[in-house]
Amino acid sequence: MSISLIGRIDSSNAAAVEETLVAQIRDGEPVVLDADKLEYISSAGLRVLLRIRKAHPEMRLVNVHEEFYDILDMTGFLEMIPVERAYHTISVEGCEVVGRGANGTLYHYNRDTVVKVYNDANALADIMRERENARLALVLGIPTAISYAIVKVGDSYGSVFELLNARSFSKILAQEPEKFDWCVDEFTKMLRRIHETEVPAGKLKDMRETALSWADFLKDYLPEQAAKKLHALIEAVPHDSHMIHGDYHTGNLELQDGEVLLIDMDTLAVGYPIFELGSIYNALIGFSEMDHGVISRFHGFDYETAKRFWSAFLADYLDTTSKAKVEEVERKARIIGYTRLVRRSIRRGGLETEQGRAEIENWKSQLLSLLETTDTLLFSRDDLEIEASAENLAEVQSFVERRLEAADCSPRALMQLGLAIEEVFINIASYAYAPGTGNATIRVEIDRAAKLATITFIDSGVPYNPLKKRDPDITLSASERQIGGLGVFLTKKLTDDVRYDRRDGKNILMLIKHL
Amino acid sequence: MLRIEKTTENNCLTYTLSGRLDTLTAPELELDLNGALDGVTELIFDLIDLDYLSSAGLRVLLTAQKRMNTQGAMRVRNVNETIREIFDVTGFSDILTIE
Repeated sequence: MSISLIGRIDSSNAAAVEETLVAQIRDGEPVVLDADKLEYISSAGLRVLLRIRKAHPEMRLVNVHEEFYDILDMTGFLEMIPVERAYHTISVEGCEVVGRGANGTLYHYNRDTVVKVYNDANALADIMRERENARLALVLGIPTAISYAIVKVGDSYGSVFELLNARSFSKILAQEPEKFDWCVDEFTKMLRRIHETEVPAGKLKDMRETALSWADFLKDYLPEQAAKKLHALIEAVPHDSHMIHGDYHTGNLELQDGEVLLIDMDTLAVGYPIFELGSIYNALIGFSEMDHGVISRFHGFDYETAKRFWSAFLADYLDTTSKAKVEEVERKARIIGYTRLVRRSIRRGGLETEQGRAEIENWKSQLLSLLETTDTLLFSRDDLEIEASAENLAEVQSFVERRLEAADCSPRALMQLGLAIEEVFINIASYAYAPGTGNATIRVEIDRAAKLATITFIDSGVPYNPLKKRDPDITLSASERQIGGLGVFLTKKLTDDVRYDRRDGKNILMLIKHL
Repeated sequence: MLRIEKTTENNCLTYTLSGRLDTLTAPELELDLNGALDGVTELIFDLIDLDYLSSAGLRVLLTAQKRMNTQGAMRVRNVNETIREIFDVTGFSDILTIE
């Protein structure tokens, strides 16, 4: 129920106004008082509003103009009554679309100004939140643009930002393909910065909760086992108080005067980075998997470029040259990505069109097959999961070497560890899954203070404790010496400690070495 | 990668190895040796540019040593410090004739 307050409310008419209002307001109905035509209000008038508010706690004031707003502010009424200001109205007709986000569309209003128009007519709360988010991010050291005004656009609202001569990364990629590597670099750098930012508790929503709600939604659309596994996988992701953007893509990075700015902050959250990677996968590939034209329409560059960008970015983000490592994390990201896409499409009526059903079917079938082969959504920049086969030895060695070199490992220790790694990995490759194949996980942990490296090998093959093997007698002559049996012995000799554990059906072998 | 260079002088065969002698490259050397040792009475491994040696490489050297024990002699030369250390901890220093 909306009631317009017109003209003046002062001591001469306050009682009459109050009487009229009380008569009009029905119990239990939300009351909206429209102050658009209110010219003056005295303290007697304010007391009327306060009494109405007491009787009807859900009362709101809307279309509050500057002068009235200041009075409410000074008298402390802003803290007692929900107030919506009156906003300047603009039109974005004919304005260039800069980008489309989850909750709104970004327009170039004029040369130096962009307006983000929200999809939802009741977006005011979202706009306020986005403003708060942007302020928070800025304070925490993330370069971003903060809106300086809120405007009315048709039936909805918009946020106005100043962006001088800014160009989005989407535009740069589309127009200057030679800047591809630079874009990947900056895109990764900014994301790292976001993910390294610790957010004070309670300031932002927890992405894990959001993802759990997606999984709950999909319960009715997935086979029971798969739905359960999806839920369990997300539930097992630990709480993480680092920032994630939530809708990170090349349209939300702007280059302005040589500075890279992050925009579109309404999806800001905290959480484990796999949630972010899932949404980046969607923006670059997921949305366009069936209809490759989607990416060009949204970002201006083509599907092939998007795929290349994704792979290059992910390798950069994970700081790895290992294809296997990139693919491992990609699989996990896609689980989150598809979960979101299927839910989103169903909620938008996707099941009612043929194209929608085909897309949902595609995402769903990929999600199901990924769920079968994935046991955790966690990943670590210090882990490599790879098929245990001799051909992958060089990759395993270079993975470990990169980590060790970064820790200023001495060349001698590097060589000795390289050898030990070969012995262990080849052992797993030859025997753990024979005659079949399987994966091994290699983890490098470095204690810089103690100058100690721990390299852990995990496989799910047949139980095998190499430490039980007897050492060869190295005093025998060549003709008496056995050809084999040296590997484990060398491993022990070349490291400071070797430990074995069998847990959860897995062989866990740890090599410990002073650097 | 492993590079193998062979020179023959009378009944003396010299292998000059450079690069890595590991799980992936050892079979290559083993195969080469299998067909090359007939009638050889002196086998020399020159490891001057070998940077890496794993147990797979040690096995090839041991196999060659065993064979040469029956038909002549084998020597290893130009062993760098890290590889020397591996020979030491595995007892190979006592088996091989290292110059």
